[in-house]
Amino acid sequence: MDANRLLEIQDASKSFGSTKVLDEVSFSVAQGEIIALLGPSGCGKTTTLRAIAGFEPLDYGRVVIAGQDMTLRRPYERPIGLVFQDYALFPHMTVGQNVGFGMRHRGIPRREIPERTASVLARVQLDGLAHRKPSELSGGQQQRVALARAMATEPEVMLLDEPLSNLDASLRLQLRIELRQVLTAAGSTAIIVTHDQEEAMGLADRIVLMKAGRIVQIDAPADLYARPRSRFAAEFIGEATWFEGILRPKSSGMALETGAGLIPIEGRSDLSPGAAFGFCIRPERISVLLAEDAPLFEGADTRLAGEVTYVERLGGDVRIWVRMVDGASAQVSAKNTSVILPEPGAKVWLAFRAADGVLLPPVDTKERVR
Amino acid sequence: MKRIEDYIGTAIYTTVLLFAGLFLVMPMIVAVVLSFDARSFLGAFPPTEFSLRWYREFLSDDYLHRGLYTSLIVSTIATLVSTVLGTFAAIAIDRGRFKGRATLEAMFLSPLIIPTVVTGFAVLIFTASLGIMDGLTRLILGHILITFPYILRTVLAVLSGVPKRYTEAALSLGAKPWLATIEVTLPLARSGIIAGAIFAFVMSFDEVAVSLFLSDPFTYTLPVALLTQMRASLNLTIAAISVIFLVVSVLLILALDKLAGVETLTGRGVYGR
Repeated sequence: MDANRLLEIQDASKSFGSTKVLDEVSFSVAQGEIIALLGPSGCGKTTTLRAIAGFEPLDYGRVVIAGQDMTLRRPYERPIGLVFQDYALFPHMTVGQNVGFGMRHRGIPRREIPERTASVLARVQLDGLAHRKPSELSGGQQQRVALARAMATEPEVMLLDEPLSNLDASLRLQLRIELRQVLTAAGSTAIIVTHDQEEAMGLADRIVLMKAGRIVQIDAPADLYARPRSRFAAEFIGEATWFEGILRPKSSGMALETGAGLIPIEGRSDLSPGAAFGFCIRPERISVLLAEDAPLFEGADTRLAGEVTYVERLGGDVRIWVRMVDGASAQVSAKNTSVILPEPGAKVWLAFRAADGVLLPPVDTKERVR
Repeated sequence: MKRIEDYIGTAIYTTVLLFAGLFLVMPMIVAVVLSFDARSFLGAFPPTEFSLRWYREFLSDDYLHRGLYTSLIVSTIATLVSTVLGTFAAIAIDRGRFKGRATLEAMFLSPLIIPTVVTGFAVLIFTASLGIMDGLTRLILGHILITFPYILRTVLAVLSGVPKRYTEAALSLGAKPWLATIEVTLPLARSGIIAGAIFAFVMSFDEVAVSLFLSDPFTYTLPVALLTQMRASLNLTIAAISVIFLVVSVLLILALDKLAGVETLTGRGVYGR
C-alpha cells in the first residue's frame, strides 16, 4: 500500500434525477493528512463524505481505503469513524457506552474496552465523565464525545461532517485548535467537511475546494489563498480586489493595461498579448499611500491612483474603498494601528507588488482537477 | 382593559365546556353509583340503599369467569404478537428504502377503517376455509388483526422523532444493521412500543363485534359474555364490571402517561431534538 494514497476517491459520480451532485470527483489523501472538503452548500462535499462512509452509493467511481476497494462494502464493513454535525450521540447510553459501542462491534476484546474508553476520553479531556448521559453535557463536551467515539476504534480514516458548526463562535475557535491537536497527536487521517473557509484553513493540510459537484482546486491553504486558479476560488476564499484589463507587450515582458493603470506582468511567456485578464490581489497586499508620500515608498512595482470613497473601521481591521480613475472600486484592508488613516475624498496611491497577485481569465474553465 | 363582551364570551365558552364535560362524564357516574345499588331490580336513580351484591354476583358467576379468563388469554397473546410484529413492521416502514412503503402502511392500518363487523365476518370465513374451528385460535387471530394497527401507529409516531442518524452512527461504528436496530432503534422507540402495547391491550379487551363472530358456545370473551347475559336478563352485574373496567383502564392510562409521556402519543419522540 502506498502511504501517500491511504484513501483514494476515483471518478466518484452520482446523480439525483437530472442533477449531477458528484461529477467525476477524484482525489487522494495521504496517511496522517487532514483534508478539508470546502465549498458552498450543494457543492457535493457532504455527498462525497457520505459516499466514503458508504451511506451514499455511487453511480460509478471507486472508493479505496488502504489499498482495498470499499465501493461495494456496507458502512459497517469500512474502516471509518464518523463525526456527525449534531454528534448523534446515543441518548440512552452513557458517555462510556457511547465510546465503547464501536469497540464492541469492531471486535475489540471486552476486557480491554473499559481501559481503552478511559484513555480515549482522557485524550479529549473528558476524564471522569464516562458515567454521564450525553444530555448532561455541554455542547463542547458532546462534540468531544462524538470525536472520542469515532476515534476509539482507531479507524483508518476519520470523517467529520461540519464538526464545529453547532458551537458558539468563541467555543468554536478553541475547539478548532483542540480538534487539530487531537487528530495530529493520534496521527489520524481525516476528512473534514465544512463551508467555513476559516475552519478549513485552520484545520487542514490541504483543501479540496468544490463547486456544483466538481473539484475546483486542491491545494494547501496558503497556496489556495495566494494562488487561486479560478475566479470562483479567488472569491470563495478570503476577499479579492480585481483590476480587469488586456495584456499588452512592453519593452521588457508584458503589462496588463487596466482602466486604473498599468500592472507589470513578469515571467508569463505562456500568455499572449491581446487577451483579456483579471488581476486579482488580496486586499492586505495593497498599501494605501497618500499622494505626497508616494515617491518615498519602496517595495512596490505598481502604483495606481485613486480617491478614497469610504473607510470602514472593523475593530482590529480597517477596510478602505478606493475609486480608481476609471470609476472601478478597489478594496484595501489594513490593521487598525496608530497610523493616521486617509479620509474619504483623499487622493491616494494604491501600491503593491504585481507578483503578489494572480492573473485569471474572464471565465472559469471546467477542467478536471485531481 | 377587558371589555364586557370579553366577559360574556368567556362565560358562554366556560358554560358550554362545562356541559360538554358533564355530558361525557355523567353516564359513567350513573354506572358507578348503580353498581353499588342494593335493589335486585333496575330501579330509579338514585338508589335508595347501597351494597356490594353485584360485585359478589360477578365473583360467583362461572359464566362470566370463563369470559374473563378467555379475554385475558386472548388479549395478552394478541397484544404480545401484535407488539412484536407491529414494531418490526413500523421499523421496516420508517427506516426502509423500498417501493410500495405507503401502500404497505395503508394495508397494515386498514383494520382501523374497516368496520369491525366486516373484519369479524371475514376472519370467521377465512379461518373456516383454513379449517381452523378452535374458538380460542380464531379469537386470537382476530384480535391480532385489530390490535396490530394500534402498535404500528404508535411505534411509527415515536420513530418519526428518532433521527435516522442514530442508525447511521451505529452502522459507522461497525454495528450490523440488525444489531443497530436492537441496540439503538428499539431502545429509543421503547416508550412508543410500551404505549402501543397498552393501547392495544385495552382495545382488545373491550372489543365486541369481532369477538361476537369468532366466539363459540364455550369460548367467549368477557364483553361477549356481558352482552349475552344482558340480553337474557338485564341486571347490574354489568355495572359492577364496568366499574372494574374503568378502574383498570384508568390505571393503565396513568401507567401509560408515566412511562411514555403525552408527547409520545402526539407523535414527538422523547429523545428528539
